[in-house]
Amino acid sequence: MSDLYLLVQIAGRRAAIPGALVQSVVEIDQVVPVPLAPPHVAGLAALRSRALTVIDTRAAIGIDPEQFGTEGRAAVVEVDGHGYALLVDEVADVAQAEAVAAKSDATMGPEWDRISPGRIETSIGPAVLIDVAELVMGCTQRRTKAA
Amino acid sequence: MDDLLAEFVAETREMLAAIEGELVAWEADPADRARLDAIFRFVHTVKGNCGFFDFPRLEQLSHAAESALAEVRAGRRQAGTHLVNAVLAVIDRIVELVSAIEAGEELPASSDERLIAALEPDSEEEFLQAEAGSDSSSGRRTASGTGASRSIRLPVDLLDRLMSGISDMVLARNDLARRLREAGAQPTIDGPFERLSGILNDVREGVTRMRMQRIEHLYNALPRLVRDLSAELGKQVMIDLQGGDVELDREMIEIVRDPLTHIIRNAIDHGIEAPSQRLAAGKREIGLLTIAARQAGNKILIAVSDDGRGLDIDRISAKAVAQGIGTKAEIDALSHDQRLALIFEPGLSTADAVSEISGRGVGMDVVRANIEKVGGAIRVESESGQGSLFVLELPLTLSIIAGLTVECGPHRYAIPRSYIEEIARGRSSAITVEELGDTSFVTFRGKRVPAIALGKVLGDSSPPALKAGVFVFVRLANGDLFALVVDRVLDNEDLVVKPLAPAVMATGVYAGSTLLDDGNPILMLDIPNIAARHQLASPLGTRRVPVAEKVAAEVSEADRVILFTDLSARRRAVRMAAVQRIQSIDIADLAREGDQCRASVDGLILPVVGVDGPLPVEGRIVMLRLGDGAREILYAAREVNDSAALESDPVPLPDDDLLEGTALIDGTITAIVDVHRLFAYDADALPRTRERICRLPEGDNWARGFLGPMLRAAGYRIADGDRDEVVDVIIARDDEPVTETGPAPLIRIRADREPAHPGDTSIYRYDRNALLAALGQRAGG
Repeated sequence: MSDLYLLVQIAGRRAAIPGALVQSVVEIDQVVPVPLAPPHVAGLAALRSRALTVIDTRAAIGIDPEQFGTEGRAAVVEVDGHGYALLVDEVADVAQAEAVAAKSDATMGPEWDRISPGRIETSIGPAVLIDVAELVMGCTQRRTKAA
Repeated sequence: MDDLLAEFVAETREMLAAIEGELVAWEADPADRARLDAIFRFVHTVKGNCGFFDFPRLEQLSHAAESALAEVRAGRRQAGTHLVNAVLAVIDRIVELVSAIEAGEELPASSDERLIAALEPDSEEEFLQAEAGSDSSSGRRTASGTGASRSIRLPVDLLDRLMSGISDMVLARNDLARRLREAGAQPTIDGPFERLSGILNDVREGVTRMRMQRIEHLYNALPRLVRDLSAELGKQVMIDLQGGDVELDREMIEIVRDPLTHIIRNAIDHGIEAPSQRLAAGKREIGLLTIAARQAGNKILIAVSDDGRGLDIDRISAKAVAQGIGTKAEIDALSHDQRLALIFEPGLSTADAVSEISGRGVGMDVVRANIEKVGGAIRVESESGQGSLFVLELPLTLSIIAGLTVECGPHRYAIPRSYIEEIARGRSSAITVEELGDTSFVTFRGKRVPAIALGKVLGDSSPPALKAGVFVFVRLANGDLFALVVDRVLDNEDLVVKPLAPAVMATGVYAGSTLLDDGNPILMLDIPNIAARHQLASPLGTRRVPVAEKVAAEVSEADRVILFTDLSARRRAVRMAAVQRIQSIDIADLAREGDQCRASVDGLILPVVGVDGPLPVEGRIVMLRLGDGAREILYAAREVNDSAALESDPVPLPDDDLLEGTALIDGTITAIVDVHRLFAYDADALPRTRERICRLPEGDNWARGFLGPMLRAAGYRIADGDRDEVVDVIIARDDEPVTETGPAPLIRIRADREPAHPGDTSIYRYDRNALLAALGQRAGG
């Protein structure tokens, strides 16, 4: 039996988040901004009694979020004990992978390569598999680290 | 049964329950190293805990078992059935004793000697399995029978779930309240709703309390521990506890208790030198052990620093190689800090002699394991000859912080209230703002401190004018003050602070986040970090004061005084250096006979001064406890007012013996108590256990004529020419050869005011204070 994936649109591209990591999908209405935070950190949002860090997935791969609309939905994941809401263009579907994740032969672009271990095939077509831990780190942080 | 004892019993039981399985497994396979370590840690901890209490039998038993097991761990001995049986018998006896302690009964009269003898490798004493077995079952049965009634222990997750459930309820309640308001007044619903709301608030407070405790609770036992240890080791250690009001998760306090005790033991045993060595190294003979707790960002920092000899990095490295922790090349390749961190490796202890106080290298690895288990960290800094610093970092999760919410631009932020000194409106005429260079300064009540707009801190390039805002004066733990300017101050709230995601923490301006009552998240500002980033103050940190500064600090301690009002309502000051602590005692513990007044305090009889006037008949009275390192005197006070710096030398008062003089303190003439005379004056009156004898340079008229009277006043008898007389202390000129001193300490005096060479430990012969101090130190009073 293959694993379930949450299929989403990030910057107009189809991407897959491993379903086992996703705690829920929520509507994000009010976001408290965090001044000085890296651009991919959209702010904080409350989910029941938790404060989630809202990550704009588009900004996390270095794309200006203004270029893409969002329906305001986010996937809630936990990384290292911290709760994150991954804000995407839209949440499409839940699907099973038809083939095991494979490293893409051709590059998907440096930002995509960084947050993705490869692509998967699903019933509705191929999708970029997302490495959630890399995604929440964001590109800015990565660059500072390298410097 | 007092709390500490109850805790000791509970902890021992808990550990026993945890190793029960290990015992059985070890019995089956005595060669099993992991089991052995677990059992070793148990007896080690029991031994350590016994140090608090007077349980010589428990201590002997656990020490004996620990010694035997240490032999096995070191590979010097094989663990056979014989040893296993003997150790199990000892553990069963420990259980028996602990049960008796818990029940408050007399300890069972059974002799421990056979048990201890059986641990010896060549022991003939063979334990009958049956005997040990029956002992143990009866012991354990009583163990589980009692004890459970007083309190229950809950898993922390359960409390966490309860806590988050309550938080959700509060949010739901607030939501409901809003809807009810919108719907208009409905008396049939509003009453019960109010009641529900009140109950919810109570429950919430209770659940919050359940988890929080002031760190003072942990501090309470420390002065005694330090006192006992230093007495046992012949050292003089002063303990300084700071930040007792920091609140910490109860669980966290329990977790940090043992590690802290371990570190303190190590510091006193290995860190702080004997008084004579300290003097020789040019330090004060009294070692200083500082324990400071502080909230820094989303962490609680507990720093334990001593001004002892520091860690011997070469010996640590050598030992690490010897213990096979790494090859010599590997160890040599490590950085200074990494090599210091080797002390946290299992099996590494640099003490050559095994002492009762700090064990055999089981300590620090357990310390680190316990701290890391809760997501904390421990690090060590040390400089040879200057002391060591251990910093325990504990996560702040679920800690409750009293915070002030402020508004800046469209957003709200929280500031921990503990930092806030004062709040003032910028439009107030008492506030003037000046721009000096790129920094703004605000002058308020005669103080000029740096000011910064919160908007600027948060990256707004054109914040509104400072004068338009509200100035929040914040004081950092190191005493630096600055003003943070916000748009509006909103409210005081108790905040449950949660840690932030790393990407947000990396900004360096936030310490955590919390949900307000209306369910919105809010960021809490990391005040020390903001100050450091904008260079508004010296960066905060539990940083050891370099030795040069330390000396300066000591000088200033001598020039600081405590202001108090004496019983005749006169304003008095006493030098801080002489004040050991302030305590209040029951009038009933005072006894006055003729001119003499004495009080019984902590099992001691101490002379009391400052009680010329009539005493109240009952109640309590404040006492300044003065000490010169050897003797103590209580000075009665109506109240203790403040401490202040002595800015000028006191003007002597010739007509009053017990006053050093008067000085202008805070604009008022204040008489300063002459502690030197006070102690000298009282020396005769003090009961002595034994007359002490001092030998002076032979045939030295100066010594006989000048030193003699002073020594007699201090309670010494001068030895006559008879060389055979056993003396307590010898005073000799620095140019005089001393052939044999025997066990008596030697004090060298010199005629020159300045030392002849660096490292010269002799004392200038007219330096009365130094001489008396040296006498006190070396002759034990």
